[in-house]
Amino acid sequence: MSDKFHDEIGLMKSDVIEMAHLARDMLSDSMKALVTDDETLAAEVKARKSELNDRHATMEEHIFQMIAIYQPVAKDMRSLACALQVVNDSMRIGRYGKDIANTVREIFEQPVIGNFISIPHMSELVISMIDDAILSYEQEDIGLIEGMSKRDDVVDSLRASIFRECLTYMMEDPGTISRCIYYVMIVRYLERCADHACKIAEKVYYMQTGERIEIK
Amino acid sequence: MVIMTGNGHIIAVENLNLWYGGTIALRDVTMSIADKRVTALIGPSGCGKSTLLRCFNRMNDLVESCRIDGAVNFHGKNIYAPGVDPVAVRKEIGMVFQRPNPFPKSIYENIAYGPKVHGMKDTKKLDAIVEKSLKSAALWDEVRDRLHESAMGLSGGQQQRLCIARTLAVGPEVILMDEPCSALDPIATAKIECLIDELKRDYTVVIVTHNMQQASRVSDFTGLMYLGELVEYGDTRQIFEHPREQVTENYITGRFG
Repeated sequence: MSDKFHDEIGLMKSDVIEMAHLARDMLSDSMKALVTDDETLAAEVKARKSELNDRHATMEEHIFQMIAIYQPVAKDMRSLACALQVVNDSMRIGRYGKDIANTVREIFEQPVIGNFISIPHMSELVISMIDDAILSYEQEDIGLIEGMSKRDDVVDSLRASIFRECLTYMMEDPGTISRCIYYVMIVRYLERCADHACKIAEKVYYMQTGERIEIK
Repeated sequence: MVIMTGNGHIIAVENLNLWYGGTIALRDVTMSIADKRVTALIGPSGCGKSTLLRCFNRMNDLVESCRIDGAVNFHGKNIYAPGVDPVAVRKEIGMVFQRPNPFPKSIYENIAYGPKVHGMKDTKKLDAIVEKSLKSAALWDEVRDRLHESAMGLSGGQQQRLCIARTLAVGPEVILMDEPCSALDPIATAKIECLIDELKRDYTVVIVTHNMQQASRVSDFTGLMYLGELVEYGDTRQIFEHPREQVTENYITGRFG
């Protein structure tokens, strides 16, 4: 295969990273909008959905075309497989960001319960997992994703503990039910985002080593 | 380099070195060829893949300056041992070349030629061999009504399948193919590739190809040759998904060659 192909892989990779950052920012901004009760920022996040969709469609088409035209093998093939994974998982992460932005309107100007319990802390962990997954793809460095499985375990534990805490609040005061339900949904979205970071990490590992691992 | 484990091997190459005059063309090649499987040899021009292929049926004997050291065992017997008749070896291990090279005779005579040379005279048996060989080479339906017309009137793809049929007619166990599709158009190439897939039910095929997609499509095992050495040899899917050697990676992803 020609150098043209490898140049094109390089360009495609920077587009993939851009899309991943777009999705990551949708998630982090939606959390910021939640914590600061900022409906304007939440609306902005929602507005980015169409760009996310467009980029996803364009990137997916581009990757399929490259497979059809160049019929890559070995690392080239694994790079494209990884790019496709990053694009698809970024799409999901961005959409969860939009879902969290939607809840901001639902609980706008309502009293915060338990200082959002541990949700902000959990979101920091999840976003750091996403950052490291993207960076490991960008720098082709699997050292960055070494502790991913343990970090995912922590996220899972937080989800369970926040769920239990929400149950307690709801039992004590039924007036908190609607807010707590939204909290539980947000926590579920964050936990899914951590899984998507793990899926990206798995494919980066495959791209670099040719071996398939499962991070859970 | 690599010896495939298991019993189903028909050819075992041991520490094979080959020189053309003072130039070394094969360096310490050790490999075994799986029975009734397709093995592909790939690598850049001049890497020694065709030379290695020609060692499997002593075609290099025809090159005057060629000197060989090591063994090529066919069913456990070294075909380079003293007293082995190269013609008998080539009956068991046939070869198909890059350009179709039918004899300037009829289609029938092309196929019957080999069995006749080996002493067959019974015309009924010859008829049966011609039909069976042409069927095995997926050519029978196209030529059954013109068996006595000149083979030179066939298309390139048909001529190549005729050459395969001619090889099959003497009842070999192994068929060596040296870039059998490089002179053919994509449709004729696709037919030969389908044929190779069918041939492995009854024959062992070793194919040299410049076309890596072809190697990945048709073969079960792939060997990568570089500067006379067998650099990597293994399951085709593994080689094309995750080669172990950097040289293989660089070659199959087009970074050189």
